[in-house]
Amino acid sequence: MFLRLHRSALILVAVFVLGPFVPLMIQSFAFRWGWPDLLPSTWWLEQREKSLLPLAWDYVLSPYSRILEATLNTILIGIVVTALALVICLPAARVLARETFPGKHAFEFFLALPLIVPEAAIGISLLMVFIKLGLAGSYLGIIIVHLIPTIPYMIRMLTAVYQGLGAEFEEQAMVLGASRWQVLRLVTLPMLMPGVIAGALFTFLVSSNIFLLTFFMGQGKIITLPTLLFSKISGGTLDASAAGIALVVTIPGVLLLLLSERFIREEAFGKGFGS
Amino acid sequence: MPPKRQIWLLMQLLPVMLVLTVLFGGALLLGVAQALGFAPWFGVNTFPDTSHFAALWSDPVFWRSLGFTLYYAFVATGLAVVFGVLLALALRESFAGKTLFKYIYKLPLMIPYAVGIALAVLLLGNGGMASRMMAFVGVIDDPSQFPQILKTHAGWGIIAVYVWKQLPFVALTVYAVLLGLGRETEEAAKVLGAHRWQVFWHVTLPQILPAIVSSSLIITAFNIGAFEAPFILGGGFPDTLPVVAWRYFNDADYTLQLRGMAVVVTLAIVSGVVLFAYLGTYRRFERKRGRS
Amino acid sequence: MTITLLRMTLAASLLATSALAEDAAGFRENFLSGAAPWETVTKRAADEGTVNLYYWGGSDPLNIWMDQVVTPDLAKLGVTLNPVRITGTKDAIDLVLAEKGAGKALGAGSVDAIWVNGENFATLKRQDALFGSFADKLPNSAHFEWDETDPRALLNLRDFGLATEAAEVPWSGEQYVCAVNTGRVEHAAAPTTFAELRTYLEAHPGKFSYVKPPHWLGNTFVQAALYAHNPDGSGATPFQETLESLGAAELARLIQPGFEYLKSIEPLLLGAQSGNIRYPEDGAALNGLFLNGEIDFACQFGLYAVATNLANGTFPEGAQSFIFPEGNMIKNKNYLAIPSNAPHPAAALVLADYMSSVAAQASKLQFTGMPAGIDPWTLTTDEAETLSAAAPGYIGVTQAELDANTAPDTNATLVDVIEAVWLDYIERGSADPFDVIVARAVSNLSN
Repeated sequence: MFLRLHRSALILVAVFVLGPFVPLMIQSFAFRWGWPDLLPSTWWLEQREKSLLPLAWDYVLSPYSRILEATLNTILIGIVVTALALVICLPAARVLARETFPGKHAFEFFLALPLIVPEAAIGISLLMVFIKLGLAGSYLGIIIVHLIPTIPYMIRMLTAVYQGLGAEFEEQAMVLGASRWQVLRLVTLPMLMPGVIAGALFTFLVSSNIFLLTFFMGQGKIITLPTLLFSKISGGTLDASAAGIALVVTIPGVLLLLLSERFIREEAFGKGFGS
Repeated sequence: MPPKRQIWLLMQLLPVMLVLTVLFGGALLLGVAQALGFAPWFGVNTFPDTSHFAALWSDPVFWRSLGFTLYYAFVATGLAVVFGVLLALALRESFAGKTLFKYIYKLPLMIPYAVGIALAVLLLGNGGMASRMMAFVGVIDDPSQFPQILKTHAGWGIIAVYVWKQLPFVALTVYAVLLGLGRETEEAAKVLGAHRWQVFWHVTLPQILPAIVSSSLIITAFNIGAFEAPFILGGGFPDTLPVVAWRYFNDADYTLQLRGMAVVVTLAIVSGVVLFAYLGTYRRFERKRGRS
Repeated sequence: MTITLLRMTLAASLLATSALAEDAAGFRENFLSGAAPWETVTKRAADEGTVNLYYWGGSDPLNIWMDQVVTPDLAKLGVTLNPVRITGTKDAIDLVLAEKGAGKALGAGSVDAIWVNGENFATLKRQDALFGSFADKLPNSAHFEWDETDPRALLNLRDFGLATEAAEVPWSGEQYVCAVNTGRVEHAAAPTTFAELRTYLEAHPGKFSYVKPPHWLGNTFVQAALYAHNPDGSGATPFQETLESLGAAELARLIQPGFEYLKSIEPLLLGAQSGNIRYPEDGAALNGLFLNGEIDFACQFGLYAVATNLANGTFPEGAQSFIFPEGNMIKNKNYLAIPSNAPHPAAALVLADYMSSVAAQASKLQFTGMPAGIDPWTLTTDEAETLSAAAPGYIGVTQAELDANTAPDTNATLVDVIEAVWLDYIERGSADPFDVIVARAVSNLSN
């Protein structure tokens, strides 16, 4: 009895997550799909030759949808943000994992603060100054603001990695006469690599999902996948091309999902807040 | 600790400290300064000027907006926590297709909110799939007869999207802790004759509580500041505060842009107070439990 | 890699602001005084290389036309089009003003041209943020009627009642037209007056809504209602005056009956029966409601909207245009303006001239259904035929019916007030006396 309940609950979750994608896929192939039709009354392929303008997937895959531009921007920004966050966080994570010092708890709490202050507050507050500095509407501006919500995650994941690693190997290498640089290059980095990849993947994921900060700082000049999709659905309706774009926006997430299962140890998420 | 070593430690902490202090702390300071009338980039400098806050806080509509903002955030967080914890517990059992399922449930975590909103529009709108199904079985014969889910102040559309996206986050966080715990304590409690519910309440819950608190803090903060879902799926006037701020920012009247700044500062204060109170309560509870 | 990238970005932005920026002011003076021949403009435009056109990016056909037709055509003139699709025109205005406030002059800003009309143009003009009177100095300016004595020139000379002074060039003309879903309602049963609309809604509650002001599609519906309920019966005429000459009290008297009408139909609008009145946020949302039969009529700018929307599947099969409201279908033009801190002023002029050509206007009409901004009577017979052959055609109405029911747009200084009154009186449901609401809106906007 309990097992059956358990099973149907899990199926329900799967339906809750995946089910909505079925109409989304149908909509992406529709030409006209009004209430109360359960399937489109006219399909895109029937109208494909008659239309002057690209419809549905023709539109999505054409350069006019700007989906390629948005994808490349999302990836570029994500990679640069991840690299910067890594460089900034790696030394600090080592210290936080290995050392104790006065005020450590307060410092850790400070590092987690950006997660509990609404993004809207940060974005709008910085906007005017960024316009003044010429950073609004530039890659640099977007990359800078993306650091705010990504650094806390990066720190948490890297600290967990260092904690799992222990200091013994490095000390042994030092005892055996290796220089600090050799230790880093030959011992620490190879052992850290899986954890660093996990942290980098997760940071990339957070960056690629950010909407509001990109929306404000991009000024409509630089579009990413979330802002592109938002502009297509902001009226609260969804046509075939918007449905197609929504599906394309889902693809990087699916790829990251496949990668992350390989690299991200689930234990890394179980860290308490500022403790 | 020798001073040289102290300096070396400090140097390693410095980059992250500097970046966050300048960007994040700077943003907060700028927000407050602008809301108090310091905006030379607009050609406005009436600092310190509390009139923007006064105008905002004396408007009863603002308080209704705040109410809606908190209501959507809390209800969604509550639902995501309850179902996320249940899902995490269920994930511990072994079942056929578990490997695949562990991919599926995490999908919403990986994709932007806008996708979830698109799905809600297609599914739950008055012209959406649910409404068409009801028409198909003959329950309704006009889209207006479908019970309105989106674009209402009850906010079920907004809440559905939040839960869809955040349930996996809570589940993953809690599941991660459960994985690290093993089941020995629970088994022991069961052997000693504890009921399933008692085991959960006295053994499992205290262990996963830190994970629940940290994940719910993060999603509540996000929900309070979220813009897309309330903008697209919300009931219109009075809007949630981030949408109000955005509308002020797009108003023809430039003084309203500073009032928009007062909105986001208020939002940050409210979110700070709520979350600190939550965290404080939790820590007091932990201390008390630690003593007894 | 990161450092290199940042360096590249910095270097690129430095290059862009240096060489050409210094002599931009001189170029402007030469061009506006008529001293510079057009060749110097095209030559300089090729040197500048790029033009940043900021426009509302919510229309796919327009975006596609920009990329498929405008970009290659401009490339032939040595100019790369950088189309910046924004979600609201005000974003571009804000950017221009912020950069102007930051001391960025001609040659140093980011916006070369903006698709504008009405309030946004008025803001630019009031803030002295326009390049100058360029439109009548373009080679293709012959495609517009500039003769003040000809009443047909009005839409080229005045934008929402405000003199354009050739600081913007007409780009498209539009008329506010409603469509009926004949799959649900017969064409003959569609209302033609506001009173008939209310009667229809009393019989079919919830089957209509209009786009929410301050969106321009909503503002226009409100303006048409105000014209029709003008207590003096003089329709649009007093609404051509500025706020200053009209005064708050007189404005309140003129608009009160119209607003009372709008209030009276509110309980009959979409969603009101379940307690959540729904005003769609934009044209796409309106079309979605219309397609699903949630509303029976959809009103928006679009002489050819029915034909275009049938061709792309966004309208239900039975959609047809109809005349509503009789005598008060608002007609206006929209324009391309060049801001005073355009980074590439010559390229912006080349763009404006290109957009005023018959070829560009005809292909825009064919791709997007946006009616021509140039005036057909100034063209040769062949050119005029090219234009009319490109039009998608009317469904349910005739050109004569459309022409017989036009009204001009409201003066831009009044639009802000009317918008604010709608938000206060209709949306917020303020209980204050009507003239107090109007006075408050006026005083809020003037300080």
